[in-house]
Amino acid sequence: MNDSLLITVMTFGYLLIVLLVGLRARRGQSSSLEGYVAGGRHMGLLVLFFILGAEIFSAFAFLGAPGWAYSKGAPALYIIAYLALAVLVWWVIAPLISRLGRRHGFLTQAEFLSACYPTRGNVLGLLIGIISVLAMIPYLTIQIAGAGMLFEAATSGTIPFWLGSLVACGVVAAYVYASGLQGIGWTNLLQGVMMIVIAWVLGLTTADQFFGGVGEMFREIQRQAPEYLTMPGSQGMGWGAFSTAILISALGCVMWPHIFMKFYSARSERTLKRVFVLYPLYSYLLVPLLIIGFAGIVVLKDNPLDSPDQVLLSLVVGMADFPAWLIGLALSGALAAAMSTAANLAHTSATILVRDIGQHLPAWRQLPDQRALKLTRLGVIVISLAAYLLALANPGSLVALLLGAYGIVVQLLPMLLGALFWHRASRSAAFTGLAVGAGLTLFFQFGGNAPFGWNAGFCGLLVNAAIFVAMSLTARQASSHTPAEALTTRA
Amino acid sequence: MTTKSTLPSRGMRVFFLLCALAMIWPGALLANRIEPMVMGLPFFMFWYIAWVFAMFVGLVICYRRDSAEEVDDE
Repeated sequence: MNDSLLITVMTFGYLLIVLLVGLRARRGQSSSLEGYVAGGRHMGLLVLFFILGAEIFSAFAFLGAPGWAYSKGAPALYIIAYLALAVLVWWVIAPLISRLGRRHGFLTQAEFLSACYPTRGNVLGLLIGIISVLAMIPYLTIQIAGAGMLFEAATSGTIPFWLGSLVACGVVAAYVYASGLQGIGWTNLLQGVMMIVIAWVLGLTTADQFFGGVGEMFREIQRQAPEYLTMPGSQGMGWGAFSTAILISALGCVMWPHIFMKFYSARSERTLKRVFVLYPLYSYLLVPLLIIGFAGIVVLKDNPLDSPDQVLLSLVVGMADFPAWLIGLALSGALAAAMSTAANLAHTSATILVRDIGQHLPAWRQLPDQRALKLTRLGVIVISLAAYLLALANPGSLVALLLGAYGIVVQLLPMLLGALFWHRASRSAAFTGLAVGAGLTLFFQFGGNAPFGWNAGFCGLLVNAAIFVAMSLTARQASSHTPAEALTTRA
Repeated sequence: MTTKSTLPSRGMRVFFLLCALAMIWPGALLANRIEPMVMGLPFFMFWYIAWVFAMFVGLVICYRRDSAEEVDDE
């Protein structure tokens, strides 16, 4: 059997297993919207751990992260730092979200925030819903495009981009449609284990093949290109940019709707905390992937890549003398990363589309549970298809889009913290801060230069928070309850 | 509403602040070097791996304290 055929067969075999696991998860599930969206608020430690892992470790882990190590060097470590620090924010916020979600029946992030800051006709909920979907569809597109790119490279073109991304997208849409969060949970567990094992095998064998070991590899880089191993890296990422990238990503992480909404699904607060205790260790998954990126610095010194995101593929598929079955495994692992994130994104976007945006249509008001469930499942198909078509239209750099999207979503953080912890939090202050913060972020991202080379979203967040605090303090009426506490006293 | 705080104790808050400062700034400035290599990794990379582990240990401590306080959470 020729190599690309073997790789193709192996990968399809893997995808078939994922599909079967995903479809099987449907059994014994209650057919309610809460069951479909939040697993009946009954997800346990193991599954929730891998769901949250899958959400963070996307196609970016196998493409963008090694790309950073290869093109910039040490600044790539910001990813490890932010993943660990993000857990601190989760630790403080998630149990409260879970508690309030259970009490008031919230399923989305917008529902929570718009209940804390009520607006006429629920404009806030609509706005958050639209922004969330606008942020998540490009993110989903990146996953699907990543899957197509991986397929094409690993099979040397036997499976073209359009077909590879279609297959990955189709498998995901099928099991999310059929099994909802349960399907996502069990497939994420399978794909998470796959990812971890393959990342380590690939990282260690790559370093071994080209240099005879990880230590030898870094010695070689130290001899040939030591600037990659410390800050500011080879392209001169300053401490300001580095630190604010960590901060914005660690803080922004909790605001991603697909992460936030998983807090509702936990069986108990104790389950959540257990997940968070283990979570920092998940970031070690990146170590071997960064090692592959670092290997590229020396191996590809004479013919640098135009697109750094290709570094893992170039080394593993093109340059290393790996047997076909190992490349097949590598492809499956990388696909696992892309697809497990895609599933969560499609699921969350569809929920938001129906719950937060759809409810503004007169015909969709007061939908019976079963109708809403049907529409949400249909939404999964629609969103997946839209993202697939966008993927064919070729998106830009993975990392720039990822950081840009983080920057905007994170602007909801000050009002969330205010709602949970601050009795003076004022509604108009929250909205003004949000508007200015979002505007400023977009401006710095796409037009002006942010001061000190700081992260655009971080600058927006600082101004946003300052406005929110200052205006809330000057507001006349002060309540004795935080907006979240007021929910309960009102009810 | 049961406003049971989710914040870690003061000691642990200081510890996590230390972790954050070590990984973001200015701690990372001190670690910005290649030598000594640890486990075959440049020191700067090892620094992050070590602090992630420190955070894990810190969270284990927080978790154990919380569970000692609340028996009837489940």
